[in-house]
This record gives sequence, C-alpha cells and structure tokens, in this order.
Amino acid sequence: MSLASSEVDIKTRSRALELIRSHFKKLVEESEKGHKLQLVFPKRTLSNTIYDQKAKMLLLGPDVQYRSFTDINEAKKFMQTLLMASIIYNTLRNNEYPTIRDLFYRGKHSISYTSVDGKTISENSWDEQRESDSVIRDLEVLLNILREDLLILSKEKGKVVGNLVIRSGNDVIDLSKMGHGAYAIEPTPDLIEFIDVDAEYVLVVEKDAVFQQLHRYGFWRKNKVVLVTSAGQPDRATRRFVRRLSEEYKLPVYVLCDSDPYGFYIYSVFKVGSITLSYESERLSTPTAKFIGVTLTDIFGTEIFKDVLKKHGVKEALEEVTKGISKLGSKQPYLTPEERKNFVIKAKLRDVERAVELVGYRVAEACLESPEYKSKIKRKEGASGYPWFLTPEWVRELCIFFYTTSKLEIEAITGKGLKFLADEYIPRKIKSGDWIE
Amino acid sequence: MSTIGEKYTSISPAEFFYKYREVAGFANPVKAFYQTIKELIDNALDATDMHGVLPDVKISIERADEVQEFYKITVEDNGIGLPPDVVPYAFGRVLFSSKYSMKQSRGMYGLGVKMVVLYAQMTTGRPIEVTTSRENYRMIYYFKLRIDINKNEPVIIERGAWRKTRDWHGTIVSVTIEGDWNRAKQRILEYLHRTSIITPYANITLITPENEIVHYPRVTTVLPRPPRETKPHPHGIDLEMLKMLLNNNGDKTLEEILVSSFQSIGSSTAKVLLSTAGIDPSKKPRELAEEEIQKLFNTIKNYDKYRPPLSSALSPLGREVIEAGLKRIFEPEFLYAVSRSPRSYEGHPFIVEAALSYGGKTPMSPQDQPVVLRYANRVPLIYDESTDVITQVVKEDINWDHYMTSFPAQLAILVHICSTKIPFRGVGKESIADIPEIRREIRLAIMEAARELKHYLARKAREKEALRRVETIAKYIPEVARSLLIILEDESNEYAKKTLTHKLVTLVSKRSGVPVNVVDSIVKSVEIGA
Repeated sequence: MSLASSEVDIKTRSRALELIRSHFKKLVEESEKGHKLQLVFPKRTLSNTIYDQKAKMLLLGPDVQYRSFTDINEAKKFMQTLLMASIIYNTLRNNEYPTIRDLFYRGKHSISYTSVDGKTISENSWDEQRESDSVIRDLEVLLNILREDLLILSKEKGKVVGNLVIRSGNDVIDLSKMGHGAYAIEPTPDLIEFIDVDAEYVLVVEKDAVFQQLHRYGFWRKNKVVLVTSAGQPDRATRRFVRRLSEEYKLPVYVLCDSDPYGFYIYSVFKVGSITLSYESERLSTPTAKFIGVTLTDIFGTEIFKDVLKKHGVKEALEEVTKGISKLGSKQPYLTPEERKNFVIKAKLRDVERAVELVGYRVAEACLESPEYKSKIKRKEGASGYPWFLTPEWVRELCIFFYTTSKLEIEAITGKGLKFLADEYIPRKIKSGDWIE
Repeated sequence: MSTIGEKYTSISPAEFFYKYREVAGFANPVKAFYQTIKELIDNALDATDMHGVLPDVKISIERADEVQEFYKITVEDNGIGLPPDVVPYAFGRVLFSSKYSMKQSRGMYGLGVKMVVLYAQMTTGRPIEVTTSRENYRMIYYFKLRIDINKNEPVIIERGAWRKTRDWHGTIVSVTIEGDWNRAKQRILEYLHRTSIITPYANITLITPENEIVHYPRVTTVLPRPPRETKPHPHGIDLEMLKMLLNNNGDKTLEEILVSSFQSIGSSTAKVLLSTAGIDPSKKPRELAEEEIQKLFNTIKNYDKYRPPLSSALSPLGREVIEAGLKRIFEPEFLYAVSRSPRSYEGHPFIVEAALSYGGKTPMSPQDQPVVLRYANRVPLIYDESTDVITQVVKEDINWDHYMTSFPAQLAILVHICSTKIPFRGVGKESIADIPEIRREIRLAIMEAARELKHYLARKAREKEALRRVETIAKYIPEVARSLLIILEDESNEYAKKTLTHKLVTLVSKRSGVPVNVVDSIVKSVEIGA
C-alpha cells in the first residue's frame, strides 16, 4: 500500500485543504463587503518574539501584520503569499509531498507587463528561495498550521534509536532493531504513531559522531534510553519528535552538547524554541528539557568562579543581572588539570559574541579578562541577553566562559574514553541531578 | 490703407535703390527672391489683419522663362484694397513717408514694395500688375505699370476697370523677377511657416513652381485688435523730426504745433516746455534759430512729467491667438502664452508676448537651449539669432534647471515684441538690440510661462508616479486572481475569472484614484511566463 493512501495522510490532507479554502473564501467575501483585501497574521519579527516566563517558551507576541494587496509595499508579498497558497493547495489535492525547494521551483515564473512609457518590464514571482520560504512561514502563522500538516517535506536530519516501536505509514518499525544504523526521523513526525515505548529517559546528542559511538557502545540498551541526535542545529521534525516523547510518555529529556555558546543555544532551541520560528514553539519546544552537559563547571569546577566573584565589582554586577548567583553551591570538575590542558580549546571572537547575545553585555564586561575581546565586543553594548539564560546557573557558566575564554567540544570527553562518557559522566550526572535548566 | 491725403517727399529712386539695395535685402538672387516674397506677404497681411479682416492670402510662384531664371510671383489678399488714384504712386514712385502719426505695422510704410518693382525692372524689365478694389467700390481696377527711374514717376502701361460681379475686395499683385528659387526655397518656406505660427486666423496658400501646394488653414476667427494711429510721444522724437514739424507748420503757433503733434502735451505742458527752453512763444516756427531748436529739443527730451506712451498704437497678438497658432503647428502637450502689459523705452511703447510649447510635435531643441521663435511686429526673425536680446535672455537670464527642464527637449519659446519702433541691431532687421526695459519684459514673460511649464511637468511627474504605484500593484492582479481561483476550485471557470479580475481592477482603481480603464490596460498587458 502506498503512503498516500494511509488514513492519517488522507485525513491530514483534507483538513489542510478545507482550512486553506475556507480562509481564502472568507478573504474574498470580506473584500466584496468593501473591506480591504488584506491578510492579517501575527508579526514574525524579532521585536514581536517574546519569552513566555510561565510557559517557558518563545512565543509570538500580540503584534499583527496587515498585508494589503493595495499597499504598494506589500502587493508583491501579497501576490507571493497567494501564489504559494495555491501551489500548496494543488499539491495537497494531487497527493504530492513537495519540499520547500520544490515549492520554490513550482512558483518561480516570470510576470511581464507593459509600463506607462510603453516598455515591457519583466520580473520573477520570486527570485530566491529565501522569498518563497518566507511566505511559507507566513502561511503557517496565517492559517495557524505547521507546514508538516500541509504535507510539506524537508530533508531528514535527525536520527533515533531505542526501545521504541512506531507505525509510520502502514509499516510498523522497531527502533531497537536498526543494527548499526538508526531511524531517520521523518519530516512529518505527527504522522508517526507510537506503539510501544520502554525507556527511562530521552538523551538528545548534538553531534552525530557522538550519537554513533554511544549507539555502537550499546549505551541506550544498557540505560533504557531513547537516543536522539539532531546532527547540529535541530530541525523541526526532530524537535517535534522529542516533544511528543516528552509530552505523551512524560519521559525526561536531557540534551548533550558542546561546551560553548553554540551548544548552549542548540539546547535552548529544544527547550524554548528558536527566534526565527517562534510561532512553532507551542508545538515543537520541550520546556522540561535539561542541559546535561558539557558545562564549564564540569571542566573547571566552581572554585574558579569564586575567584572571579572576588574581583572588584563583579559580584555586584552579576547579582544585578540575576539574584542569588553568589550563593550557588560548589562542585568538583570532572577533568583533571592535565586533561583540561589537553581538551580545552581557545574561544574565538565569534563564540564570545554569541555568548554576549545569550547573557548580555554586562556579564561579559564583568567577567572578560582579555582586553582584546573586551574592546571588540564594545559594539554589542546594550545587548541584554535572552531572559531564559539569565538564571544564576547559566550566568555562572558563561561567566567562566568569558573569564577563561575556553570551550570544549564534546568529542574531547570521548577522548578521555568512550567508557568514561557512557558509563561514568552521563549516568553520574543524571543520578546526581547535575544539570542546568 | 490710409494713404490718402498723406504727404510724401520724393528723392531720387535710382540713388535710393543703389544706396539701399543691400540694406533692403536685394543683394543677390537668393536674398532678393526671399525679400520679394516677404514684402508682398507682409503687405498682404498688413492690408488684412491690421484692419480687422480675416486674411485669405494666396501666393503663387511660376517659372516665367524657359531659359532664364525668371519667376512670376503673384500675391492675392482679401484686404481693404487701394483707391485707384493712389495705386500708381503706391507702386510706382519711391516715396518717403512724411506722416508723423504712427502705428505698428509689418512693412516700412510700403517702401519695400517699390524696391520690389525696381528690382523686377532691373532684372527682367517686366512691369508690375496690380488689381484692386475696396469694399464699397462697384469697380475693380487694373494697372500695369513701371517706374520711370530718372523722373521717379510711375508709368502706366495699361489700365482697366470693370464692374464687380461679386463682393470682392483686396489686392492682387504680380511681379516678375530674376531669382534663385532652388536656393531661396527653404528660406521662403521657413518664413511662411514662421509667419503661419502667429497667424492662426489666416488662410495662407502657396503654390511653388513645382506645383507643390503649401496650405495653412485658418483655425480661429479671433483677430488681434488692430492698432490705432497715435501721435508720437515727445520722448520718442528726434531732432530732424522736430525741424520738419516746425518747417511744415509755418502757419501755426509753437504751442499749437506741440499740442497737435504729440501725445500727452496739452497747452499747459507746451507752455512749460517753451518757457523752460527760454523760447518766446510768439515766435514764428520757421524763425527759430538753430540753437533754439536744439534747446527746445533737449527740453522736450528731458521733461519727465509726460504720461507714458499710449499703447493703442500697438497690436499685440494676445494669448488666444498665440496659443491657437502654436497649437495649429505643433499640437503640443503643454502650451502657455503670456501677453505682458505695455511698457515703454525712450518714448516708444512696446509689448512683449511669450509662449512655451512643449511636447507633441514641437521640434527637438539643440543641446543647450530651447528652440527660439522670434517675432517683431508680427514679422518672423529668422537670422542672426545669437545676437538677439531674446536669445540672450533665454540663454543667460533663465535658469532652466529651476523649471525642471534640461536640454535637448521638445521645447519651443515664442517671443513677440511689438512696438512703434523696434530697436533693431544693425541694418538687417533680423536681431533686436539689448534694451534694458525690453530685456526685463522678455525675462518676466518667459519666466511666467516657464513657471506654468514647471507646474505642468511637476503634475505630470506626480501622475506618472501615481501610475507607477498602480503598476506595482496592478501587474499582480492576474496572478492573484489565478491563485484565488485555484483555491476556490474555480480555475477553469472563465466567467469567474473575468468577474474576479474585474473586482480586483475596480478595487485597485478605487484605492489609487487611477481610472479603471488604465488599471485594466495594465492588467491586459500582463503575461505570466513559465
């Protein structure tokens, strides 16, 4: 049986078709009543992306965008939005599974007209995929539906193994029987049906290489873990898949990343959502996700932070950023000074700048020692940091990062021995509750 | 023509002709041809529009000899005609007009046509033929005559008169000259073209020796107000004129002469002038000594309490005529004419008129200035453009950037100066001298028209901008309609497509203020490619 005929697929299609048709039917009717021909939807801008403290996720704010056909600055976008809606509508009707790149090519064509001075002017409906991608996002917020539910596919990126049996299409797949390979998380994770889950927790690993090592080592079997990798920046499907496991089976979710601001940010995308796709957070984010490591305190311990606090004005400055930072407990490092010397690498300016984005300029100013970096990040003055990073634990991490300008890639821990990572580091951290949220 | 009863002084025509041949424009067969046509047409028009008659002027030029370059030129007008007793003198005697009263006219008081007769006689030896009648005459008169050069007398070779069978008035003049038609043709056509620009009320037809017909049909029946004869203003007098006045009016008192010869001198002003000059008012006019005349002349010239010169002697074309004329020839997209109020210089009244013609069939200008069409007393000035004060104003006094204009452009400026005395530069009468009062008026007139042009161009730019804005929306209507119809699953319904497209067109038209048909034409031009 083909995938197209699967029941869940058919249902999803007809629901999407109906949603699109009724929305645009209403649009035409409104304009017939003399109202503006315009699309109204939440603004997808940085300024309208807010961190919801209660839900602990990034959500779209209350700002609304009006895209009117008769507004010359919006006319082209209006046309592009409708064009994209009609293409998606057709693919749904024809039982197709386009990727966003397919949609880009399907809609790309020339539009020519004769101008006032008699010249024939030609342009393209869109020139770059950036433009067609943008209107796909607009349609998602306009129709309040995720692209996955419009049967738009994207490249598979995330992988999963573990004691987990699922139904995809009309096939039942046992994810504990994948050999050395793994199940590629399909772009439409909502079409997956969980049949049986036998696991203690979910471990999400940023790096594919680490995932493979843990997989071959038998880590997930030994610890009853659903092992997931996002292979770098997580795509939507991986996030949605993790979210479903957390939500539907109440499994704790731990995230293992590099010990650098990029790793920290990947964790936060799982947890609170991404800034560019904040409208999806409600469906994609996992607010209970915990950052298991690698932390700077795993590398350096907490003594080093106490030294920083003793410096003039640092304590006051950090207390102002986040209350209680000077009263945090202490812990020993997982690495010896010798190992530290071997594994730790120097942070680049790029890393430092990213860190300023996470916790703000004031933390960097208080903790940075390097005069070179200090002068170079001056232009970021005024950056206040993301609210979900302004907790005592995270500020301490980044303070140590600024102070030492050091980072560590997770492969380095495996350098100490895969056994150490799999049998000691991860289990010990989970057991002792040594994570950051 | 009000030539009856006027006084003339004879001078030797041969002497006059040889002396003034070049000055009068008869230097060679090309110039002479041009000048002949010009004199005859100017006379024809003076006999019509200056007297309130809508001109019908026919000019025919025929080859009159198979071997020699002889051409018979016939000009017919429907003007006021000439009394038969004046005809021989008007055409057959070189005369010097002694009239003091003055008014605007094209020609030099009919002097030019005698030059034509003399030139014809010198080159082909053929006489001039004149047929004429006035409005209330029952007869039409015919003359064939030549000038006895030695006696300066007309010699009537043939004359005739017959009863009018229809209500005709006007004059037909035929003259045969030697000329270089091939080289004069362009000049003559240009002259006719320029003339026609400011005479939209005239029907002008020219038949060339090649039997080509050039026709400028009448497009308006509005005629400029004819000029009225006025006495000269005292500031415009010269010493010779004053002497002649004193000589010719021996029977009058000095005061009477002043009062009757000039405008704005009454008996009290006359008394003041005479006492200021220290002249005994009871002296006989002819008894004044040379230095007394000089003194009186200076006093008249320097007195500053006269009223400004009367402008009734002038006949400006008026805005309506100028605009109708430019419209007839150039069919411009923008047209604006200005007719300034009368001003005066050195005792001579003058009026400056200007017009701008933009776009349409207006000729393309040179790189650095607009096309300049100059006129003095309704006569087109074609040569010596660079030295003319009008050209100088256009090039030096007007900042065209300020009026949103850069060159080349389809822009022509017409300037007409009318005056009882046009201050020509040099003897060619093709270029007007730089008189500050006139220069100022030309500048103001052009600026006024240019301001209107600027407004027009700004409005046009705004409208174009509005269209551009509509374009940026309208071009997407077919795509939007198509997309909506797909979603509404109505894409193969032609009627639905038409209705929806029309709705969108109406909506865009309403929002932008641009007419439905304009929006529709943009939409119709749209092609959606692959």
